[in-house]
Amino acid sequence: MEHLVNVERVSKRYPLDHSFVTALDDASLRIRRGEFLAIAGPSGSGKSTLLNLIGCIDSPSAGRILIEGVDTTTLGPAQLADLRRLKLGFVFQTFNLIPVFTAWENVEYPLLLQRTPAGERRRRVAESLESVGLAERAGHRPDLLSGGERQRVAVARAIVQRPALVLADEPTANLDTRTATQLIDLMRELNRELGLTFLFSTHDQRLLDHTDRVVRLCDGKVVDDSTAKEESDAQVLAAGV
Amino acid sequence: MRKFLLLAFRNVFRNRRRTLMTLLVVSGGVAGLLLVGGFFSFMFAGLRENTIRNGLGHLQIYNALYFERDETRVLENGLDGSDKLTAILAGTPHVRGVAPRIEFYGMVSNGLKSSVYMATAVDPAKESGLGFATTLTEGRNLQDKSAGGNEALLGVGLARSLNVKPGDGLTLLAVTADGALNGIDVDVVGVVTTRVKEMDDRLLRITLPAAQRLLQSQRVTKLVVGLDSTDNTDRVYADMLPRLTGLGQPVTVKKWVELATYYHQVRLLFSGIFVFLGVIVFFMVVMSSANTLMMSMFERTREIGTMLAMGTPRSWLVGLFLLEAVLTGALAAVAGVATGSILGLLVNHAGIVLPPPPGNTAGLPLRVLHEPSLMLAAGLLVILTLALASLMPALRASRLRIVEALAHV
Repeated sequence: MEHLVNVERVSKRYPLDHSFVTALDDASLRIRRGEFLAIAGPSGSGKSTLLNLIGCIDSPSAGRILIEGVDTTTLGPAQLADLRRLKLGFVFQTFNLIPVFTAWENVEYPLLLQRTPAGERRRRVAESLESVGLAERAGHRPDLLSGGERQRVAVARAIVQRPALVLADEPTANLDTRTATQLIDLMRELNRELGLTFLFSTHDQRLLDHTDRVVRLCDGKVVDDSTAKEESDAQVLAAGV
Repeated sequence: MRKFLLLAFRNVFRNRRRTLMTLLVVSGGVAGLLLVGGFFSFMFAGLRENTIRNGLGHLQIYNALYFERDETRVLENGLDGSDKLTAILAGTPHVRGVAPRIEFYGMVSNGLKSSVYMATAVDPAKESGLGFATTLTEGRNLQDKSAGGNEALLGVGLARSLNVKPGDGLTLLAVTADGALNGIDVDVVGVVTTRVKEMDDRLLRITLPAAQRLLQSQRVTKLVVGLDSTDNTDRVYADMLPRLTGLGQPVTVKKWVELATYYHQVRLLFSGIFVFLGVIVFFMVVMSSANTLMMSMFERTREIGTMLAMGTPRSWLVGLFLLEAVLTGALAAVAGVATGSILGLLVNHAGIVLPPPPGNTAGLPLRVLHEPSLMLAAGLLVILTLALASLMPALRASRLRIVEALAHV
């Protein structure tokens, strides 16, 4: 089966003073459709870097990343923008809503970028806000919403165009336990009901407890991948048979 | 597009205090331009009509030779048959009247003292019929040629120099059309002023028959045509030309705009001053708004990063910043035009009179004309200027690296 995301021996180095810092070192990863996957690791382990690379908002120093079979390292800036607009949804740690837009308008924004017809836009925004339980708060601007509500608006914005992959960078980091748990449950529900693929970077154990799969990074290297290990074990067993 | 416009509009008012400051500075510039420009327009319009009313007229008819060669004798290049020409010209639509004139110079004496004069001989009835009023400081105007004898009006300076007043007599000397010296006695009936000292020191006006007797010629220097409106000058000029061909003498028609040298000099000078003011306002707007727009860009760095991450085309961001600048400019233009218009009305209502300009004796009223073309130009100037000022922050925003923008604090 073709994987949704295929990260092949990707490295990322940043220049620092007169040397380089390696944020990601020869990392490989495969993500299947419908997975609820977390990338875990301590601060500076390369979680956000890997997420940025998969999200096509940064480019690798080496290796390649394929999304739905398309090698993103060969695409130009405009093609990458198209790919992000059509295939990816983003949830940020600090919510990153457009402050002058209402919740409704924030959710509507990705559809405006895709020039979705007005009727279709209205239906999908209403549906997305309904699915995150914020239909009643649609007319409020972000500064009138709580942290949890803002993050739910961000989730609604990320899923409104039914992307192939939702990337969430530390989505619960700025939330209290109760709100974080509610958000995790919400995303899990969206994953199950809509079949959306979620990829998180987190070191929040509450979130890790709810994921199907955890990829652990340390010093830019993949040190543990439960599914990869299972696949490998399965291949060994098959070879033994 | 509507949402994009809405986003730009809301962004303009995101930091209200800063936007208000920008609007105050920019609209102040617009209002200032309108006040200065409106005052200059008032001066230009006043100067134009004064120039025309003070005797230049809208059109002047000369013998074609007048501009081709210098006269060795007075009226050598003058017009023959002025009555016939007047009748033809008077039949042209929009013509209010035609007044013949003779211009010459000579010596004037009171018996004790002599002085040089520059005389204009006129038909008083036709002159007043055209609204060519002289400003009397003493006495009365010249009377109709049939009633008047050898009457004269003197400029204030000339009258003072010769120590004469209305009722006194003077002797005028001039060289006739044949080259002989001739003289006539005239009665001073009034003293006039042009408000230009140099003119008032030499000015003398007599009736046309008196001048023709003095110069021994029936010719006139020119015919001055007055119209119902200055705006009709070009139209009448075009109508008049064919009527003046084949009359036995070549004639040339000059529009007021070709003859009003002083008007053009004044206009050129003040237009230069206005352009200089416009450049100052331009830089004022650029400096204040570029700083504001750049600050706005820095404050929104993370938001811009988010928009780019979601796949917003970079060209859209450039367009967004430009649109915000144009909206700010449009608001400033509206506020500036409103402020400028209100201030203009207040100034006009106040009846302020400025001190007389150099060489003039009367004060200059401070009035502001409300010119739609000036308002449009000032408005467009600030909109364009703000759009230009927004280019740098707009391009910077569009070139941000997404990862760095998202990490911006």
